[in-house]
Amino acid sequence: MIPLEAVAGLSAVLFAIGLYGVLARRNAVLILLAVEVMLNAVALNFLGFGAFRGDLTGQVVAIFVICVAAAEVGLALGILLRLHRNRQTVDIDRLDELKW
Amino acid sequence: MNIPLLSLMTLTPLVGALVLLVLPRDRHGLIRAVALAAAGISAAAAVAVFLVYDTVRAGFQLAERLPWLPQIGIDYALAVDGSSVVMLLLTGIVIVTGVLISWRVDYRPKDFFALLLLLVAGVYGVFCSTDLFFFFFWYEVAVLPMYLLIAVWGSTNKEYGALKLTLMLVAGSILIWIGLLMLYVASGINSFDLFRLQHITFDPLTQSIAFLLFMIGFGVLAGMWPLHTWSPDGHVAAPTAVSMLHAGVLMKLGAFGILRIAMTLLPEGARIWLPVLLVLATVNVIYGALSAMSQRDLKYVIGYSSVSHMGYVLMGLASLSLIGTTGAVLQMFSHGIMTALFFAMVGVIYDQAHTRDIAAFRGLICTMPAVSVLFILAGLASLGLPGLSGFVAEFLVFSGLAQAQAWLFVVLAVVGVAITATYVLRLIARVFFGPPEAAWRALRDGTPLDVAAGASLAFVLVAVGLYPAPLIGPIVGSVLPIVRRLGGVE
Amino acid sequence: MVTTASAWLLPALPFLAFLLTATLGRWLPGQGAGIAIVLTGAGAVLWAPLLGALFVEGPQLYQPVWFTVGGDALHVSYIVDPLAALVLGVVLICSTHIQVYALGYMGGEARFGWFFAVVALFTAAMLGLVLSASLLTLYVCWEVVGLCSYLLIGFWFDRPAAVEAAKKAFITTRVGDVGLLIGILLLFRATGTLDIPAIVTAVQQGAIDGGTLTAAAILVLLGAFGKSGQFPLHVWLPDAMEGPTPVSALIHAATMVTAGVYLVARLFPIFEAAPVALAVVAAVGLISAAGASLLALVQTDIKRILAYSTISQLGLMFAALGTGFLPAAIFHLTTHAAFKALLFLAAGSVIHGTTRQKLDELGGLRRSLPVTAFTMLAGAAALAGVPLTSGYFSKDEILLGLLDRSTLLFVATLAVSALTAFYTFRLWVRAFLGPDQMHGHAHESPAVMLGPLVAFTVPSLLLGFLLFIPFGPSANIIAFLAGETGHPPAQYAEIGSYYHAHHEATPNGLVLGTSAAAALAGAGAAWAVYRSGARIRRRLPGAAVLERGFFIDALYRWLTTQVVMRLSAFFAWFDRRWVNDAGVNGAGRLPAVVGGALRTLQTGNLSTYALAIVAGMALIAGIILWSGR
Repeated sequence: MIPLEAVAGLSAVLFAIGLYGVLARRNAVLILLAVEVMLNAVALNFLGFGAFRGDLTGQVVAIFVICVAAAEVGLALGILLRLHRNRQTVDIDRLDELKW
Repeated sequence: MNIPLLSLMTLTPLVGALVLLVLPRDRHGLIRAVALAAAGISAAAAVAVFLVYDTVRAGFQLAERLPWLPQIGIDYALAVDGSSVVMLLLTGIVIVTGVLISWRVDYRPKDFFALLLLLVAGVYGVFCSTDLFFFFFWYEVAVLPMYLLIAVWGSTNKEYGALKLTLMLVAGSILIWIGLLMLYVASGINSFDLFRLQHITFDPLTQSIAFLLFMIGFGVLAGMWPLHTWSPDGHVAAPTAVSMLHAGVLMKLGAFGILRIAMTLLPEGARIWLPVLLVLATVNVIYGALSAMSQRDLKYVIGYSSVSHMGYVLMGLASLSLIGTTGAVLQMFSHGIMTALFFAMVGVIYDQAHTRDIAAFRGLICTMPAVSVLFILAGLASLGLPGLSGFVAEFLVFSGLAQAQAWLFVVLAVVGVAITATYVLRLIARVFFGPPEAAWRALRDGTPLDVAAGASLAFVLVAVGLYPAPLIGPIVGSVLPIVRRLGGVE
Repeated sequence: MVTTASAWLLPALPFLAFLLTATLGRWLPGQGAGIAIVLTGAGAVLWAPLLGALFVEGPQLYQPVWFTVGGDALHVSYIVDPLAALVLGVVLICSTHIQVYALGYMGGEARFGWFFAVVALFTAAMLGLVLSASLLTLYVCWEVVGLCSYLLIGFWFDRPAAVEAAKKAFITTRVGDVGLLIGILLLFRATGTLDIPAIVTAVQQGAIDGGTLTAAAILVLLGAFGKSGQFPLHVWLPDAMEGPTPVSALIHAATMVTAGVYLVARLFPIFEAAPVALAVVAAVGLISAAGASLLALVQTDIKRILAYSTISQLGLMFAALGTGFLPAAIFHLTTHAAFKALLFLAAGSVIHGTTRQKLDELGGLRRSLPVTAFTMLAGAAALAGVPLTSGYFSKDEILLGLLDRSTLLFVATLAVSALTAFYTFRLWVRAFLGPDQMHGHAHESPAVMLGPLVAFTVPSLLLGFLLFIPFGPSANIIAFLAGETGHPPAQYAEIGSYYHAHHEATPNGLVLGTSAAAALAGAGAAWAVYRSGARIRRRLPGAAVLERGFFIDALYRWLTTQVVMRLSAFFAWFDRRWVNDAGVNGAGRLPAVVGGALRTLQTGNLSTYALAIVAGMALIAGIILWSGR
């Protein structure tokens, strides 16, 4: 049996990678990818703890997270497409209209 | 006889406003008729209240009560005492004359009159509510329509005037609301009922804080220095009828609130803060009068004179004496009528001349005799000429201060009257006397409606000046318990 | 049957006349002037039986209630005593005659009826003032008198000078009224009542401490000085000559300036109890008498000369009051009313006949205006104090009192008499003698104007003999005014009133002789200097100071324009700049400033936001971990 520490460690590493991606990347699509990685890190964490405690709730939440992630990706890609059509770019450094 | 007079009076304008909303917007005659009818019925009810009120029995009468939110102690409760009766009478007179003077408003008259009636419903409500929640509710109803009335129908820098007025008054009402909630919580009786709260003795700290909140909050509306600046700008920007109601009645809500809530419920706080109020009020008197002297716009002069005259009201309240407080309430009435007359006549002049610059006019009495005479009469009332109501009120205020041995304030107050005489006479000499200017030959006197409205206000000025007893009786009955509780001079 | 209780009719009749004339006047023949004259005249006719009733009943006090505050009832009480009764007669008789005169003088004026309406109100207010036994009603009437003078001085409101003069009169007297009102309040506070008899009783029982009493008395005096045109509040009186001449006559003889003297007389027991205040009365009276008679020397406008003479004569009355001789002051008030009304009406007749009023432009009018010339001579003689005229005897009463107190004051007053005689005859001689400046264009006034002139001549010449004949139950008029009406003192005590100290009424030889000498010397000098009609070229040193009225006007103008108006401009500026712009708008700008600082955090850069979120999360996690142990 895989020890809980290993699952939690993997989840932490994945989360950190995702976080790095969100903070460091400039391309909106890649940021979206990084967000997905973070979401999956969280889902993995739920699964690991669920198995460890013998509780099904972990799996339920994990499935819920996957669903939400799918919906979110769909919505986000839609927005990005519109954005690209309007601005011909998805570089977030150039998308800073929402400032003062 | 079981007509709910107070509800009839308060709700008629509201119903009138609703009826106006469903009328077609281009039937101006019908709209005016409905507005006048609503104002007239409410004013008639106010007069009836005045006549029915039993001065000898004094106290609160004509009570009506409906539970509204019993769980948290809010009732729809109305009743009047002597001071409210007098104020209601004032409101009735001013709203009817205000509607008459507004007869020639032809830009969106439907909305104008609806808002005017809504506003006046709020004023009635404040004067006769004995539930503090509803008191506040009506207070807000009276204050808020003002923004639209000024911003849409006003003149001279109207957006600024309207915004400033609304923001300052709303800031004041926030303080009032905090104060009310404070009393509600501190009393521990789960009630907003004035009569029940009256029997609670709040601890000194609560009293002191709450009184200060009320004093500032209501003080804003009463034009207390240095929170008065909305008043000249607001009055200048407002259309005629709104100026009349605003300076004539609304500013009185502030002073009335101090008397009805702060001084009634918080005697301990009053003893701490009334001396401060007295000083500020004296500043009002002198500062307002001196500022009025240098103004170039007719309405600014009257605006600052209102600041000055409201100072007498606050001085009377702060005098801690029966005579002074009586004088304060009478001064509210008298100033209300007088300033309404002022604004009405300036409105008539402005509508034709399209300017209010004092230097531009000369010899108006030759072209507009009736309007000029009425304006001069208001001027004489404002400088405290005996035989007109202002004198009686101011004399009572001075006597009250003298009884309280506040000699410095007596001197300053009387000096204020002399300054008032100076600026009023300068104004009259400039504008109405002298050889008539050729440019104004085309001016015509006010319409019969204008003159009728002005003359009825003038009649009240003279009548009260000659025989003030019918007003003084009820007022004394209502302020006596308050002064007694404060330990003032009787 | 007329009793003293019906005294309220006297002010009520002219007030009714005011109401009728002001409201219905435009539809009546003569714009309602007739109503005013008839009703005022009816009052004058009623006055005689009222005086008779006073002789029979003795002084009476009546106290109907006006309104009540708490336990304090405010009365409109009125008093009928010798003082009130005599002044009532003066007011009514002067007012009636002056109104008749005005029928001619004001003929053809627009607002003819309005003039009579206001004159009637003026009369009513003055009568009310005289009858008042309550400080409140007295003050009310006092202010209405002021209002009427404002309306009448500014009657020709299309003349800027008249408007200016009216405003000046009202505001100057108003300054005095500030003092009066505060003084009334002091008395009210000290005694708890506004009824004069009650206050007097309290004062006589020593219920008020000396300091308060003196302060109150001096404050009341301010009001009296303002109304009576005494130094330093006299500046409005000469300017008030901008009003129509009948108004000047009314103001100077009966209805306005005498109010101040009357007020002090009415409150005399208070002043007697406050010696300092009494000394102020005397001092101000003498200063005004001397100063005004000097100023009158250099005036060239006939009405202004008369105006200054009024200030001077009223100064003498105040001097009499200040030295404690109320009866002498009121007697002089009575004779002065007769001859001053006569002089003004005659001056009006000159103006009417020549349309000029500058001495430089007049001369030799005795032929074209014979009646005016003769009647004015009678008035001038009385004013100058020529022996056997009314002014001679009444002034001697005052001199007698001054001689009692101080020889110096007596001599000074004699000098004033001589000056008075000089400027009075300067006026008459320059206007009526010498070469004719009008070349026959002057015309005598109509009978309706000459009638009152002749009528006033009689009392101007003969009133002085009241000193020597019984007046009702009293030995003579001085005894009457002193309260010796044959009614027992108890009756006076009841109304808290008055026995006045008075000296022996018959003047002694010293006074009679010196006074006659002073008057004749002054008059003779004027005749010698001016009879030729030659212009005096050489200016005396100090004339410039006199022509500018001792610079008092300039001082006030400086005070109003440089001090008050600047202060006012400062306040207006302060209110705009600091209270409004800095305070209110500043408070309004505060959220904007705070927001301006905070908004720089919104970079719009997603990465920055994300970093901030992470940092925040880390912070919260750290806090939880830290506090969790």
